[in-house]
Amino acid sequence: MALGAQRGTELLRGVLDLCLLAVMDQEPAYGYEMTKRLRERGLEFVGEGSIYPLLGRLEREGLVETYRAASDGGPPRKYYRPSSSGRLALALGVSEWRAARDAVDAVLAPVKIEVAT
Amino acid sequence: MNDFVEQCRREWRRLGVSDPLAEEMATELASDLSEAEAEGVSAQEFLGRSAFDPASFAATWAAERGIVPSPQSQGVTQGRPVSLVAFTATAAIALIVAAVLLLTGEPKLTLRTHTSGPAGFGPLPSGGGQVHSASAAAPVEWIFLVLSIVALGFAARLWATRGRSQPPTAPA
Repeated sequence: MALGAQRGTELLRGVLDLCLLAVMDQEPAYGYEMTKRLRERGLEFVGEGSIYPLLGRLEREGLVETYRAASDGGPPRKYYRPSSSGRLALALGVSEWRAARDAVDAVLAPVKIEVAT
Repeated sequence: MNDFVEQCRREWRRLGVSDPLAEEMATELASDLSEAEAEGVSAQEFLGRSAFDPASFAATWAAERGIVPSPQSQGVTQGRPVSLVAFTATAAIALIVAAVLLLTGEPKLTLRTHTSGPAGFGPLPSGGGQVHSASAAAPVEWIFLVLSIVALGFAARLWATRGRSQPPTAPA
């Protein structure tokens, strides 16, 4: 794996649960639908490790609720949406992410080196 | 893709996941994989490296859902290597020492000490100090040997147990 992709995967690993909670908070979704939404927003490294174990953990921790419903023309799917605890966790996580992002930005901002494209 | 789901089913069955839960996860996975395939997305693109290791994927998923023991909850197993290695090494060293002591033919360990000579032989010469007497059968060495063998057997059993219950590595 290229260094850039590896770093992208590592960065995403720490916030993928927040991203999943965020996309299902916009609208309940099933597993594959969530990966599509994330890819549409530019997160292309989601497949590394798969989202299912993470969804399983969110379910175990009571951060998501699930229900079965028919998808568009397909078989019934398992949909996920954040529970009230999940929304709280999302809010806290977003706050933590923004604080971390700002701190990293402050450190990296003086760097003038850029990769030639 | 059906083969991937079937391998996951087998792993869940092996781990003791209940049939309803295994069926639920298998159905969810099969539906998503089918949709991905219909859209031209390969299993590898969708599942990443997990696509090459369905057993690990299935085990991790089940563990994260909390329907089989997770790596974190198996603290005894996880914490075992260092202490188990130390225990095994100590037992092995004890066995070697006991064997060497016995093979050399001369008891090295005393069972008791006397500050005077044996009865009937009068007092020791002045400044005679202590006489160390060892039992003829050197039971200390034999006890040492037996205990170390028992300890090694116990260690071997722990290693075997650990090998069978080694949990999968959980990805992110």
